[in-house]
Amino acid sequence: MEALSLKDDLGDKTAMAAHNSLQLIAFSIGEQTYGVEITTVREIRAWNGATPLPNTREFVRGVINLRGTIVPIFDLRARFGDGQTSPTKNHVVVVMSVGEKWVGILVDAVSDILTVSRDDIHNVPEGNSIDTELLNGIVTHDSRMVGLIDLHAVVSGARMDG
Amino acid sequence: MSDLDDFKATYFDECSELLTELEEQFAAIEAGERDADRLNAVFRAIHSIKGGAGAFGFSALVGFAHAYETLLDYVRDGRIEMSDDVVALCIRANDIVADHVNAAQTGEALPGDYGQEEKARFDALARGEKADDEDDLSGEPMDEFDIEFTPVRVDLDAPAAGEAPVEDAFDTPPLQAEAGHWEVRFTPHRALYARANDPLLLFRELGALGEMDVRPILRDIPALSDFEPFAVYCSWEITLVAPGLSEAAIREVFEFVDGDCEIVVTQLGDEAALGAASASLSAAIETAVTAPVVQLGAADLLALADDEMEDLADAAFAPEAAKPAEADEFEEAPVLSFAAIAESIAPPPAPVKSAPAAVSKPAVAAPNEGDEGHGRSVGVQSIRVDLDKVDRVVNMVGELVITQSMLTQQMDETLRARYTELVRGLEVLAQTTRGLQDSVMAIRAQPVKSVFSRMPRLVRELATKTGKKIKLETVGENTEIDKTIIEQLSDPLTHMIRNSADHGIETPDKRTARGKAETGVIKISAEQAGGNILIVVEDDGAGINRERVLQLARDKGIVAPELQPTDEQIDQLIFAPGFSTAEAVSDISGRGVGMDVVLSNIKKIGGSVHVRSWPGKGTRMTLRLPLTLAVLDVMLVKVGVSPYVVPLSSIVETIQCSRASFERVPSGGKVLQVRGEYVQVIDLAQRFELTTTVEEDNRFVVLCEAEGSAKVALIADDIIGQQQVVIKSLEENFERVEGIAGGTILGDGNVALIVDVQGLRTSIVHRNAA
Repeated sequence: MEALSLKDDLGDKTAMAAHNSLQLIAFSIGEQTYGVEITTVREIRAWNGATPLPNTREFVRGVINLRGTIVPIFDLRARFGDGQTSPTKNHVVVVMSVGEKWVGILVDAVSDILTVSRDDIHNVPEGNSIDTELLNGIVTHDSRMVGLIDLHAVVSGARMDG
Repeated sequence: MSDLDDFKATYFDECSELLTELEEQFAAIEAGERDADRLNAVFRAIHSIKGGAGAFGFSALVGFAHAYETLLDYVRDGRIEMSDDVVALCIRANDIVADHVNAAQTGEALPGDYGQEEKARFDALARGEKADDEDDLSGEPMDEFDIEFTPVRVDLDAPAAGEAPVEDAFDTPPLQAEAGHWEVRFTPHRALYARANDPLLLFRELGALGEMDVRPILRDIPALSDFEPFAVYCSWEITLVAPGLSEAAIREVFEFVDGDCEIVVTQLGDEAALGAASASLSAAIETAVTAPVVQLGAADLLALADDEMEDLADAAFAPEAAKPAEADEFEEAPVLSFAAIAESIAPPPAPVKSAPAAVSKPAVAAPNEGDEGHGRSVGVQSIRVDLDKVDRVVNMVGELVITQSMLTQQMDETLRARYTELVRGLEVLAQTTRGLQDSVMAIRAQPVKSVFSRMPRLVRELATKTGKKIKLETVGENTEIDKTIIEQLSDPLTHMIRNSADHGIETPDKRTARGKAETGVIKISAEQAGGNILIVVEDDGAGINRERVLQLARDKGIVAPELQPTDEQIDQLIFAPGFSTAEAVSDISGRGVGMDVVLSNIKKIGGSVHVRSWPGKGTRMTLRLPLTLAVLDVMLVKVGVSPYVVPLSSIVETIQCSRASFERVPSGGKVLQVRGEYVQVIDLAQRFELTTTVEEDNRFVVLCEAEGSAKVALIADDIIGQQQVVIKSLEENFERVEGIAGGTILGDGNVALIVDVQGLRTSIVHRNAA
């Protein structure tokens, strides 16, 4: 009985900790680090080309076949206005779910899995910058700044006329 | 609870089938086919709907269906003539039943007096006719008999008799007893005692009705050595004298033990009948001892005056049970033994729990099906399958098709030469895959009838609301099309018909002034054209008012003022978003949606819409839909570095550019002259903003047919070949891309985009217009 209650105690603590903390998949674009909540990530794949889509914006790299489903790939560098990535085999696609949809984000590399406290998330400084538009918040980890990606914002406005 | 929900879902599925059937039957009845078969089918459908509704406690539906059913019953008996008025009333009643079913399904309440007016008319009709036929007994057994099989009846087993008034009215039609002199034979089954029923209580209740004499029949009691302690050997003969007593009142006493015993009620009239009755009784008793199946004597059979009942009895009993010689003898004595028939045909009244199961199998349970009983096993058998399961199979077959074409593609010439056996195997695989695919697609195919049948009602309502006279004609309703497409078809079709009725067809006086028939005709037709289904909605109305359309389009900035679109282009403008030609926002079309919804819905399922109008003569709207959404025969072309896919069904021919005769038009664009016809040219590389390095002369023209037989010439860098592809949606994870109808996965695992021929063509028109 003692052992059991001890276990319960432990379980509670873990739950408490989980409640206030957030696990992120961190990835890099150039020098900059960004993160997304780990629960939204479905898989991470090496870049293997995509079929370009006509009449879409520069940051839409095209579509890939993910086990029979067509998934669009967004070039995050291009989305931040830094021009298209010139992808190599070492570049990575992070497949995530946004609502009902699955999308892939092309990034330079996946760097880490971070655990951060929700309390440490800061608001993005107001401004007209594209960062304000595409980030949910900023969190500091090991004295590095990690931008939290707002996936809904990233995938919006993909069409030429949109 | 979920079990009940399942049963409900099944019930509503069936209701929708039955309502469809009603529409069909009445379409024929309206056309003059007023035979008994149709009427019986209608009766059965209403009866089944009512039965299920009773089981689930949809009392408003039960009430209305019941009144309707009574009317139908009188029509069937010939007491009420099937006049045009009655047909019209019935059609209105069908709509009301449909509304009630819909209300029950969605949980939305209808106004309390909904359908009361029609109900009152039923009652008036029924009353008016009944007085003349006071002595007619023939219809009554049907009533009595029918109810044995409805699940509603099961509910009555429960002590709470909340719905009793409604049901009673039906259960106990005024049976015209001349003298209250009755003989009742009561044979309890073992189940009666097992359910703790006491015959004594029944006798007591029966005794309350009048003067009673009860005689036990003990001759069936065997010798003690053969005696089974739990068997029932005793039955009773009861004579009951009560002036004005009806048979129904007697039966009501035995209501709670229905199915657990056998009740034979005989009315004792004059001496002759009395003799005959007792003779028939002893005959029944004798046969009952030897063969339980023959418990129903010949006289009983005769009593089933209705033809159907005879058929039923024939089907249910061994032929020798009906001996013609005896039949003559007992003609005078109607001995009714419904319980016996009920028992031998249907399972004994089920406990409440299984009642919905009975609902789901009206074909087995409905007594009127008896005449079809012989052929029941011969007809088309079907199973109800969850669409998800079929979808899974379709998807897997799709993957199989991809794998198969991948394997074929990867067999290069050297391999082919070396492994002839393998090549042969692959060919067989290809054939089998194709066959499998066709079969799977056929599973999902459904006749368009299920959508078309909803339209007559719509037209009726529209005609009433607009004060116009409109007739609906349907052609090719058995054309089959994929289930998912059918589901998506209802809305667009509704809009198109609304459009025709509201804007197309003129008012009767306008029509006569124009020298047309007073009644406008809307015709919907379906036909298969190659890999497509064409659905055409045509009316003989006023046609599109092009001046107004163009004016409106200019006002709304859809068309630039300096442009002068062709007539055909103006017609297409009604599909432009936010466009409505209605003079005023009317109740019918002014629901904030216009024909642009039709276009977007149809595009969503890979189809296209084309409208053609003849001023003063009418409008024709053509929907072109793919047969199936899943698999497409395509031509693979190369543009830039990427393969693109063009649906084979739209391709007319391919021409090498060097041999094609292009002409320049003043705007700088190109047109292609094909056999004296000038065709719009779309350079895919240019259109999709791709860089191409292929020389002009080495490129190819793919001549495609768009809507309304308009042609488009697509220029591609190269032609790769033909194959089958599985269509994948882009919208599932992305959004619609202009000029692209979807994607597909090629044998090498890469995605190829499907060219939207019609979309490319119209987007150019719109671009130019904007």
